[in-house]
Amino acid sequence: MMLRALATVAFVLLADPAMAHPPPLGLKGFFGGLLHPAFVSGHVLALLGLGLLIGQQMPAWGMAAPAAYIVALAAGLGVIALAFAPTWAGEAVLVLALVTGGLVALARPLPEAAGCVLAVATGFAIALDSPPEVISVREANIMLIGTAFGASILLVAVVEAASRLTRNWQRLGARIFGSWIAASAILVLAIRLVR
Amino acid sequence: MTRYVIRLFAVLPCLLMASDALAHTGDVTGGFASGFAHPLLGPDHVVAMVAVGLWGAFLGPPAIYLLPVVFPLVMAAGGVLGILGVPLPFTEVGIALSAIVLGLMVAMAARPPLWIAALLVGVFAIFHGYAHGAELPPGADALAYSAGFVMATGALHLAGIAFGLLARWPAGRIAVRAAGGLIAVAGVVFLGRLA
Repeated sequence: MMLRALATVAFVLLADPAMAHPPPLGLKGFFGGLLHPAFVSGHVLALLGLGLLIGQQMPAWGMAAPAAYIVALAAGLGVIALAFAPTWAGEAVLVLALVTGGLVALARPLPEAAGCVLAVATGFAIALDSPPEVISVREANIMLIGTAFGASILLVAVVEAASRLTRNWQRLGARIFGSWIAASAILVLAIRLVR
Repeated sequence: MTRYVIRLFAVLPCLLMASDALAHTGDVTGGFASGFAHPLLGPDHVVAMVAVGLWGAFLGPPAIYLLPVVFPLVMAAGGVLGILGVPLPFTEVGIALSAIVLGLMVAMAARPPLWIAALLVGVFAIFHGYAHGAELPPGADALAYSAGFVMATGALHLAGIAFGLLARWPAGRIAVRAAGGLIAVAGVVFLGRLA
């Protein structure tokens, strides 16, 4: 009886939590959340696609799309805090990377409202694909706050960098990069469909 | 009692050696490296991709920037066919033919209408994408592998474009056309090996 109890205790103490994504650099808490979007390759792809699209459409677009993204991200993280974590969020992030990357490659002028819709969808999908990697509610909430900051900073940085690409060859480079993002997203979606 | 102790000792190593259950399996670095190396280690891929860049540079704008944007997207469509296991006959023959045809286009300084050039390159892109998709190593990080081979392909295009820009000068034009001839000859060799 005693040995069974010991074995159970050993299970409990040694078992690792099943995580959606590995903790970046082994960090947890606020900094773990802060780095989370930069270490999940699908999120990086979607953020690069959206950031390049918004930056490419500047100055015709204002800051409505980044603002909509941040609000949607916060709302999505709020939903996650209520323990709702859909299984399709990862695929949704990749579909949005495909759409935004494709639009960057096309480089056509778009209405700002379309950008806002894509920004809201991307922010929400990234949030839903960022379930906390800890069991304690307090630590989970701290991590979510970190993710909110990290994903917002990353997008704003990409938008800022992309809006500075004003020369012809720089804008062409952004279009080529957009096609790479879309192509990578297409392939990963196909792989996920098969596996 | 002894039996319980033996069982406990059998269970403990399993617990100690178990690793986290992670949704994103595979080694990101390894996945990217193997994806990036895939087009670079296949001489048939290398010469055909360089030929695309050379031809784009030869045709001038808008082909010079349209081909590197369109190619990865069409190649991804071919990759999807390979990943899904849809049979595509004569893949290797198509890849060898791509080197012959594209090399000849450069060697002959052919200037067909843009849509014909795009169609020709697009058809060959499907064969190249199919080969990359079908040879995806099991267990590799899908996104990292895809991003790797898309970026390597893009880098080969850029190398071809950079060399093709020499065509602005008379001596450079001869060098670029000679390179096209060499690529066509290499394609004949690849085709001969398949026979």
